[in-house]
Amino acid sequence: MRERSLQSTHSIGMPFTDAVSSTAQQDDLQLVAASKNGDQDAFAQLVRRYQRRIFNLVYRMLQQYEEANEITQETFLAAWQGLPAFRGDARFATWLYRIAYNCSLKQLEQRKRDKALQVALEAEQGNSAGIDTELDVHDRQALIQEHLSQLPAKYRIVLILRHLQDMTYEEIAEILTMPIGTIKTHLFRARNLLKARLQALDNESDRGT
Amino acid sequence: MRCREAAHQLQLYLDNRLTIEQARALEAHVANCAACLEELALLEEITQNLHHIKVVIEPDDLNEQIMQRVAMTAQRTNAPRFSLLRPSLAEILVAVLLATIATLGSILQQPTLRALLPIANGHDSLSLAVMSLLHMLTTVDSNRLILALWLIGTFLGICITLVLAGSEMRSQWLKAMMERLPVR
Repeated sequence: MRERSLQSTHSIGMPFTDAVSSTAQQDDLQLVAASKNGDQDAFAQLVRRYQRRIFNLVYRMLQQYEEANEITQETFLAAWQGLPAFRGDARFATWLYRIAYNCSLKQLEQRKRDKALQVALEAEQGNSAGIDTELDVHDRQALIQEHLSQLPAKYRIVLILRHLQDMTYEEIAEILTMPIGTIKTHLFRARNLLKARLQALDNESDRGT
Repeated sequence: MRCREAAHQLQLYLDNRLTIEQARALEAHVANCAACLEELALLEEITQNLHHIKVVIEPDDLNEQIMQRVAMTAQRTNAPRFSLLRPSLAEILVAVLLATIATLGSILQQPTLRALLPIANGHDSLSLAVMSLLHMLTTVDSNRLILALWLIGTFLGICITLVLAGSEMRSQWLKAMMERLPVR
């Protein structure tokens, strides 16, 4: 598995403006109802609607393009299998995000268990990070992105959902099944970690000059 | 407002989670505090940069790959959880019947309570039958009673095991048992 150079070839540089509107929610309800009855065409429409958002969430959690591809597939497959049990208490999107997050966490756990793979991935990441650092050493955004990928998973996910997927505290709390107070705390700590790393970098460059 | 409090509120401010009063108080503090202003600028830079992280395009054939796997995968049936622990109507009726019999049995053993029941005055055929049954149960030989309870318990145990094992396992057991029978 090799990570592809995403920022140049795969980025379209636009936010997820097709965030779930009330019309889309209405459509979701109909498509979900049809999918629950085994309608694969309806499910294919749901996949098309959410695949980019889910792929991006998974990719930012795992930082591996091919792995993100596999886990996105696993997410939708789990959703398909579990649809009959989906009672509609939460929105379909929230439920789907929750599955994606859990699949990503499971994959991260799997990585930890498989030490050989971990070593290989780290070597690969180390190589690509080295290239990135060389290319974007003055690019603050690239640095923040790199630091984001190094944060603990529980802090990374809140930043991804809040800033990359433009979600509210309430939506994040629903997806992660955590109280809003915990979401606030995790966001606070996550940003402080990023801030501390940037400050350390600034101090280093000040000393260097 | 102190810097410590302001530091905590800066992030909520950037997320628009403060009331107007709180936001104004924070702005007034930041306007006069260079350290908090610097902190706000850094946090703003971080959130702006995070917001502008580019969207990654998924593989072209992602939808196709997902739907291929979906086509080969059956949906899980929506069996209610703990269904075995939820009694059916028949089970509830049996439980109520057994509880009624047990209660009646204890009442009939007390002469004062028995006198209150119209059916159990000891002269009609129903109460005579009930009394004789009760008498038989209370005077039965203890060895026979234990044997009867053991047989009932074993039968119930087999039934419960078969119910919990599921239809697939039941059919396998039945098949294995039939193969061992000397006469087919």
